[in-house]
Amino acid sequence: MIYRIRHVTTYSYEATVASARCVLRLTPRDDAGQARLFGDVRVVPSARLREETCFFGARLHHAEIDTPHRELRIEARARVRITRAAPAAPAEDPAFEAVRAAAATGTSRAPDAPVHALFPSQAVPAAPEIAAWASASLPAGRGVFAGASDLMRRIHAEFAYAPGETDVATPAREAFRARRGVCQDFAHVMIAGLRGLGLPARYVSGYLRTLPPAGQPRLVGADATHAWVEAWCGPDLGWIGFDPTNAALVGPDHIVLAVGRDYADVSPVDGVVVSSGGQSLSVSVDVVPEEEARGG
Amino acid sequence: MTALTRAQARDLIQGLSHWTRGYAPLPGAADELIGTDGTPRPAWARLAEALGPMSPGDLARGFGSAERHIREVGISYRVHGEAADRAWPVAHLPVVIDAAEWRAIAAGVAQRARLMEALLAEIHAGGEAPDGAPPAAAIVGSPNYLRPLVGVAPPGGRHLSLYAVDIGRGPDGRWWVLNDRTQAPSGAGYALENRIVLSRVYPALMERLRVQRLAPFFAAFRDGLAALGAREEPRVGLLTPGPYSETYFEQATLARYLGLPLVEGDDLVARDGSVYVRTVSGLKRIDVLWRRVDGDYCDPLALDARSRLGVPGLVAALRAGGVAMANMPGAGAVEQPALMGFMALQCRRLLGEDPLLPNIATWWCGEPAAREEALGRLDTLAFADAFVPGPSTLGAELDAAGRAALAARIRARGVDVVGQEVVRLSTTPVWRDGRLEPRPFSLRVYAAATPNGWHVMPGGFARIAERPDARAVSMGEGTLSADVWVLADAPVARVSLVPQERIRRVSGHLPSRAADDLFWLGRYLERAEATTRLVAALAAARLEGGEGGPGDETVVRLEGLVRSLGAVPEEEEEEEDAGEDGDPVGEGADAAPVAALPACDLARTALDDAAAPGSVAASIAFARRAASHLRDRLAPQAWRLVADLSPGAPPGEEAAASPADTLDRAHALLERFAAIAGLVHENMTRSDGWRLLDMGRRIERGLAACRVTGALAGAGATSADLDALLDIVDCQITYRTRYLFGPAPAPVRDLALIDPNSPRSLAFQAERILEHVRALPRLHEDGLPEPPERLAAALARGLAIADAATIDAPTLAGFEADLADLADAIGARYFPRGAAAARPEKLSGLA
Repeated sequence: MIYRIRHVTTYSYEATVASARCVLRLTPRDDAGQARLFGDVRVVPSARLREETCFFGARLHHAEIDTPHRELRIEARARVRITRAAPAAPAEDPAFEAVRAAAATGTSRAPDAPVHALFPSQAVPAAPEIAAWASASLPAGRGVFAGASDLMRRIHAEFAYAPGETDVATPAREAFRARRGVCQDFAHVMIAGLRGLGLPARYVSGYLRTLPPAGQPRLVGADATHAWVEAWCGPDLGWIGFDPTNAALVGPDHIVLAVGRDYADVSPVDGVVVSSGGQSLSVSVDVVPEEEARGG
Repeated sequence: MTALTRAQARDLIQGLSHWTRGYAPLPGAADELIGTDGTPRPAWARLAEALGPMSPGDLARGFGSAERHIREVGISYRVHGEAADRAWPVAHLPVVIDAAEWRAIAAGVAQRARLMEALLAEIHAGGEAPDGAPPAAAIVGSPNYLRPLVGVAPPGGRHLSLYAVDIGRGPDGRWWVLNDRTQAPSGAGYALENRIVLSRVYPALMERLRVQRLAPFFAAFRDGLAALGAREEPRVGLLTPGPYSETYFEQATLARYLGLPLVEGDDLVARDGSVYVRTVSGLKRIDVLWRRVDGDYCDPLALDARSRLGVPGLVAALRAGGVAMANMPGAGAVEQPALMGFMALQCRRLLGEDPLLPNIATWWCGEPAAREEALGRLDTLAFADAFVPGPSTLGAELDAAGRAALAARIRARGVDVVGQEVVRLSTTPVWRDGRLEPRPFSLRVYAAATPNGWHVMPGGFARIAERPDARAVSMGEGTLSADVWVLADAPVARVSLVPQERIRRVSGHLPSRAADDLFWLGRYLERAEATTRLVAALAAARLEGGEGGPGDETVVRLEGLVRSLGAVPEEEEEEEDAGEDGDPVGEGADAAPVAALPACDLARTALDDAAAPGSVAASIAFARRAASHLRDRLAPQAWRLVADLSPGAPPGEEAAASPADTLDRAHALLERFAAIAGLVHENMTRSDGWRLLDMGRRIERGLAACRVTGALAGAGATSADLDALLDIVDCQITYRTRYLFGPAPAPVRDLALIDPNSPRSLAFQAERILEHVRALPRLHEDGLPEPPERLAAALARGLAIADAATIDAPTLAGFEADLADLADAIGARYFPRGAAAARPEKLSGLA
């Protein structure tokens, strides 16, 4: 399946902004399960753009803007071919204690190593109450895949999807207490639960196709960027994607933008501007399968 | 000096019995005075011998002098979570160590510094970890492990330029490493200050005992910093989190001592792979930053986006090699206790050497074997966070439930916990209630990287616990710091920090932030003074005028002026006022129909009420805040004068009633302002910084001249008004020598505004400002005047042709507006992030 993606971010400022420094993580990953066929980022007003690869392998752009402006518009376009399918339940599901021990003792610090997803991070600090809640999914000897799937389903069942009630800065503990939030909050809660039990879990930002295939329901989170979780299921199974917002394993409808420890590592636009006024933001995302785009 | 015989040493100690009487080491701990064999250690024997001739009186005088120095210099620190600085508690006696023992310590510290550098290089090179490397989780779990720095070659070639280590002597007499500090080690400045303090107490002693000097260490450190820079004469700065940092005083001390500018993140701009300082001469490239901001706070773009202390784009500049940092961000990734248990192995693997200094035995519970051992020794070990510094828990002190919770935590997330052997630290004598008592201590030792290897400071920073039983010692409540004397075998060469350089008469480029703070320091000091003058005039008019007297109109005008300056709260609530001071002079209120407060109370409020933004107290607080950013630029004496400024003790109820008391306090305060002005005038180099400070003062004085003239020398001015005005502008005597008749409006206006020889006139201020802007650097070489110069010249010209007879309210309003425009132009030109502070805003939103 080939998707065309168009992601436009517009900041409007009350006062003129003299300069801005931004990091843009808007180029989809190119790795197992998906191939980036095209990727392009444009910034208005004109910016000095420098491209680099972040620690976790995402392509990112540094933008330096020194032109005074009242509006900053960032348009990212990409074509991505998805080859992954949602995984079947594994025949051998290792006990979570064994996975925990393997994560703690490995020596690899490579970007894909589980160790990077093991510790508290900026947006997911240690939260013993979430770990205690999550432990019901992982009693002694439980397989890690089965346990993580159960945790995902519990979040989906017990948490209300409530757009607009939380924002990018909402701590996982707050969403957990309220049992409400959006994809980002659910991902953070699931990560906090798994890590609290010593299991590596990381954050994935990406897209869902905007309109479902004929006859299927439209997935939640399809009108903006989406977020889900990858849990490390031992050296043999590796990383497996869980989407707690939809209680689904990650499959051909998910397009990965970036992975990191939490939202702070992968936020699509991050930056500082020198300004004395407020700002407002609008985002639009279109993800369309190429056949439909041609057909339409 | 050879070791003393046991008998000689005992004689020595007995000879000092008036203050060593009854000294006995604590059971089970080593001691610095009495060695493990029961005789005095050689270094202490030498100190005791030298102290012998000093009487308790001599010592008391020396300590008194030391304490004065601490007060004068304002040595301070801040306990985390406290708003105010505390005076620095320095022990009256040093910790003394002899040269032979120190050589072993120094070799061990230098080796450990090399090990840390090697480990950092391996971690940041990226790629697969080699065989024998520590578990990844023991490194990656550190919040100081910064992924964006992996794969970045450190400009200047090293990650670590300053390394510190806390060591303590165990019961076996050996020194043990307690903590490593690789992030941004603090305390070297306190070591320096402690040395200065003790040299006041024992001026001759240090020379006689051949105490090794600290200056060569700092010279080596500075050379090491400069060597990181790529250019011939690199510009080096100290990157500080600012005055709210716990150790800001120390940073300012070091910046002054090493001759480095203190820069905050806001002072710097990263552009195209280089970093620049904003200065009054424009952007100037900086080559090396000595970092006292935590690594993850250095760059809100690449690292922690919440940081307001960093420089957006700094990491990109590091990657491009355009700036070097000491220590590199990420250098903190090897200081965590989790790694301690692996250090001996790593020393053999990376350096091929056995460790010279052992560290305290540590079990990182991420490893199954270590975890089981720690769980088996729950009763005897201390448990601490494996990555985040903090207090440890003694397993033995936990109850059954606490122990079960700890064990459960270790089983679920052992990676977060270390168990450590409990070390009984050695004791050193402290002077308590007229005698010596043993107290446990730890020692922080510093090593600086230079092109010729690691240079270890001969001495350091000792922390002594107040209580005899303390396990770990940190600076905070109930801790003393002490100087550390390393006694040399041979006479010590006198080396101070005197580099060989060509003569210069310029002081480098003034950073824009310092320019901003200096300008506002000048403005607030002058504003405080001007308001104090009004307060004095008001109190005096009240005293002289009495009730219903001829001065009443003047009182009303002065009150109106005080109100218009915002020196008293805008809305008076009578109950509140009555509640505040009991209002025993309430009957005086009806004499002043406009005022709800009686004049003397209004004067007192304008002096004391910090809640009113224009009050003297508020202006002083603003001045102090500006000065607190300038501690590296102000002479200690000037800082103390500003820090000590106060409208005096808030009067009790009786005093509140008395205008005489208010007048006395205003006069006392005016003397303090005069002292500061005198110090600035006589002692401050005529640098750009001085010009900014003086311009701030001149702007504010010009504004005051306009306002007070408008209020007291307008159309209907009485002779009492004019008289008060002459008092306020300090021109009574000049007026009397020039004119035989009493005060008349035009001559008084001439003196207050137009006479260029009258130092409080508006014209005088305009001419000084014009001189300053002409002398300050220009951004362009086109020879055209910059906006501040144009405006200052126009104002000066306007005043030169003005006629005192025709000056009316609109003319005055015009002058005031000109001054305000001039102040804005100065701000826009010299500190573009000035008063209206366009601060970086975080881009946000779930984009």
